[in-house]
Amino acid sequence: MRSLGENKLKNKRGNILTENIIFIILNLVFLSILIVFLVSKMSAAAVLEEMHAKQIALMISAAEPGMTIHLNMENAINIAKKEGINSGDVVTIKENVVTVKLREKGGYSYSFFNNVDARPNFDTSTNKGYFFVVDKNE
Amino acid sequence: MNKKGDKLISVYWFAILFIVAGGIVYMVSAFYGKPYDVRGAEADILTTKIARCVSEAGYLKEGVLAEDFKNNLMESCVINFQAEDVYDWREQGQYYVEVEFLDFDTKQKIFEISEGNQGLKLDCGLEGEGFPVCVERSLYSIDENGNQYKINILSIVRKTEKNVQ
Repeated sequence: MRSLGENKLKNKRGNILTENIIFIILNLVFLSILIVFLVSKMSAAAVLEEMHAKQIALMISAAEPGMTIHLNMENAINIAKKEGINSGDVVTIKENVVTVKLREKGGYSYSFFNNVDARPNFDTSTNKGYFFVVDKNE
Repeated sequence: MNKKGDKLISVYWFAILFIVAGGIVYMVSAFYGKPYDVRGAEADILTTKIARCVSEAGYLKEGVLAEDFKNNLMESCVINFQAEDVYDWREQGQYYVEVEFLDFDTKQKIFEISEGNQGLKLDCGLEGEGFPVCVERSLYSIDENGNQYKINILSIVRKTEKNVQ
């Protein structure tokens, strides 16, 4: 037979353990939500659209006719696939305006000042990026 | 007493956690909510392009001093200042470039070529994100007769709406 004191001590230990576990779980849940928020912000389609459109526009502005430039766009292409956008339609160039589209109701455009003929070609060997062929504007 | 104290610490712990998380959420939202400002890089590239167009390896390129070059800077340097058709950008003009040729010894201006929206020049030197970005560079060059030139290039890019919140 256990004494009254021993039972009280055991109950107290049980309470402390349960409280600590709940406390740790709540902390983990809280931190997980925070991390999910950060990751979702960092890899948001709108952010990637803007980033890649500006990056490509600057790249073409600085390019010379005859150059072929490869750009890794793995993250953007993965998002486009999830959103149901064809990988070959992610980047379009009309006149001197680059448009990157990763969502059905989205897209970001930015212009470049280099008067060249730039053509985007999806890299079918890796499915991770685009080749940009820069030629003289006829 | 101890148990009460523990609970009190937990409440404070969560309060601190919420404050820290709130701070992180605010900072991340502020950072990713702002557009990337690439105007500085764009103006730098434009300046480099103009510099390469007028001078190569320290020598003035052939035809730079000719009237044809002065009248057709855009064609000669393969530049197109037509921006995308948003925020009235096409009507306003989002770029300006000015190239000054000075005598290297006397510093007297020989001639000047400019293209784009001249009004943007007025905003150069003003502090604040809402103004156009101006990049000014100088280079030294000589022509085939050995005449020395100082070339000042001023490039301005506006595009404020897509680069500043």
